[in-house]
Amino acid sequence: MKRILAVAIIMVALIGSVFATGNKEKAPAKGVTITLMQNKPEIDGMLKTYAKVWNSETGNTVIIKSIGGSSSVTLGQQLKADYAAGSMPDIFVIAGKQDYKEWAGIILDLSGEKWVKDTSVAFKNNGKVYGFPVAIEGWGLAYNADLLKKAGIDPATLNNYEAYKAAFAKLDSMKTQLGIDSVVSMAAGPQMGWVTADHNFNSLLANGLPYGDMTVVNQLLNGQVDKKRLSEYADWVGLLFKYADKKILTTGNYDAQVGAFASQKAVFLHQGNWVDPNLKAAKATFKMGFAPHGSMHTTTDGIFVAAPSYYVINSKSKNIAAAKQFLNDMVYTSQGQDFMVTKADMIPAFSNIKLNPSGQLSKSVQKWSKEGKIYSWDQYYFTGDFRSLTLAPIYNQFANGSINEAKFIELMTKAFESLKK
Amino acid sequence: MKRRKQNTFIFWLFLSPVLFAFVVVIVIPFFLGIFYSFTNWSSSARADSVLTFIGLKNFYRIFRDPSFLYSFLITIIYTFLNVISINVVALVLAVVVTTKLKLRNLYRVGFFIPNLIGGLVLGYVWQFIFNNAIPAIGKAIPLLAGFANANNLILGKVDSSIVALVLVGTWQYAGYIMMIYIAAIEGVPESLIEAATIDGANSFQRFTSITIPMVAQAFTITTFLTLVQSFKQFDINVSLTAGGPSTMFMGKPIFGTELLSLNIYNTAFVANNLAEGQAKAVIFFIVLVIVSIIQVTVNKKKEVEM
Repeated sequence: MKRILAVAIIMVALIGSVFATGNKEKAPAKGVTITLMQNKPEIDGMLKTYAKVWNSETGNTVIIKSIGGSSSVTLGQQLKADYAAGSMPDIFVIAGKQDYKEWAGIILDLSGEKWVKDTSVAFKNNGKVYGFPVAIEGWGLAYNADLLKKAGIDPATLNNYEAYKAAFAKLDSMKTQLGIDSVVSMAAGPQMGWVTADHNFNSLLANGLPYGDMTVVNQLLNGQVDKKRLSEYADWVGLLFKYADKKILTTGNYDAQVGAFASQKAVFLHQGNWVDPNLKAAKATFKMGFAPHGSMHTTTDGIFVAAPSYYVINSKSKNIAAAKQFLNDMVYTSQGQDFMVTKADMIPAFSNIKLNPSGQLSKSVQKWSKEGKIYSWDQYYFTGDFRSLTLAPIYNQFANGSINEAKFIELMTKAFESLKK
Repeated sequence: MKRRKQNTFIFWLFLSPVLFAFVVVIVIPFFLGIFYSFTNWSSSARADSVLTFIGLKNFYRIFRDPSFLYSFLITIIYTFLNVISINVVALVLAVVVTTKLKLRNLYRVGFFIPNLIGGLVLGYVWQFIFNNAIPAIGKAIPLLAGFANANNLILGKVDSSIVALVLVGTWQYAGYIMMIYIAAIEGVPESLIEAATIDGANSFQRFTSITIPMVAQAFTITTFLTLVQSFKQFDINVSLTAGGPSTMFMGKPIFGTELLSLNIYNTAFVANNLAEGQAKAVIFFIVLVIVSIIQVTVNKKKEVEM
């Protein structure tokens, strides 16, 4: 009998200890604890450092959870799991309209916040502000200014299809002279659908149009295809694919793509200013900048600039006031500004912040955006399903050479027509 | 009487933690999942979303989805190739390391180790081998120059990508299956082999007439394990090919090496159709059960009773 008792006690103790761990995280006596879940693992360390600073300033604690950076789990999946488990974070990140729709039921209206008047890129829906812009990001075609100079090409002339076509042909003929493997570092492999079906796709949607112009987006969402625009765009995609390193194009990953540019094996890179830290790590010191996309025959003098993601506050949170304060402090305290710009090296989305990021490409984005030569990001008006599972395979086949340009146009047209309800 | 009562009590007491875990993480989610497959569940806070019962709509949709049908087809092909490849390689390895080979224990460990590496890591390692190492070899050795051509990348075409998946799947799993075969081969009574040797059977005859029938029991379990493993393949698929390269099926561009698990995952988490993914998973489960039952029944008939 004694033995049974002993066993029973051990069992109870064991089971008890399993459940007990969950309750240990008690908030400190002073202030409240909020949770922030975000999707930029590269700024995880800086954000946690800032969280400590904020804690000593306000007495409130913020727990940072960073999801992403690998193929194992994305922020969207983690949020769904947490939502099902009833433990949604107080602040989380959305990327745009489609994400907003997914969580509209619990996203707090932030129209009354102080920072709203200091930014032009907050996430809005039906005239109400819901999202705090994390940063400003941009992409065009990143170029290696040193190599272009050697080849005698002025990057300022690169702003339409014909100019690019001539420049690519010239660079291609000077391959050995310049020591390059290919002209463009482009990726269209199965893991790189976001480069083609998100970023490159946006050229079709927004290039050459006034900022925020939705005509092309709305047409395509209705299944109407502007044949001329699409065929010019297809020329551009074909041009990029033709002058890309085929190995990187068809099977390469992010590291291979950025690596080719960093090691000066390619003159152009189809990525945005977020590669700055990667280039810094690869000790790439050559001069670089962004040139506009040449997806049209007419000149399009501007690059794609917007806030890539937004912090939103969970309206079911018990600590809304603290969450609002955390966002406000990021904009209006020197420590917050220091974190955003100096430490995390992001381009601030707020006009009151006077600091500048250090990355060359970030500076280039800032320059374009100060000149007002920017086009919007419209790809997020299309569902992730449509971009990743319908468009990405089309780009991939075009890159593999298993379909030609005419077939590419035909498949894209069919894909858009299928959107009509 | 009292003793037996105590024993029963202890029996359940010791079983309870496992039983608890089993019910919480397997039984409840399983039935919940079946329930969700008949609803519009999204596990998110959409503005006007209420969990509603939509009957068989999810199932109706998935059988019209080219990517699902294609995944089904490609998974069957992959499973067929993988089961054969793993078992042949494992059996050969097992026979080799049960002979009086020097360092055979070292070989056993060596062949088994890939099984201890996570599938995701394996996938990335092999992706590097296929994308970088093999073209580099092609550049260095003129005889293999074809491999250096960017048009011949192994992961650049659907057919060779499937072969690559089978290769990596075999590399990972053959060592484990080999262990089962080793146990079975070592269990074959020495006396039978001796008797056959005296009767003049050569080593090949001894292998086909004695070893093979005697290890038939092992075939049941190894075929079952490899079949289920291949059908459920996910981690290698995601890290090695990520579903690509893409191809056409029923007039729609789709991913060419997207096995069923990955298709379910993409439906649920990329397309945000959790309920539809769940419906696919239910179909997946039913098919897997049917195939496994058929396989085990067929194999059981071939076993030799001692």
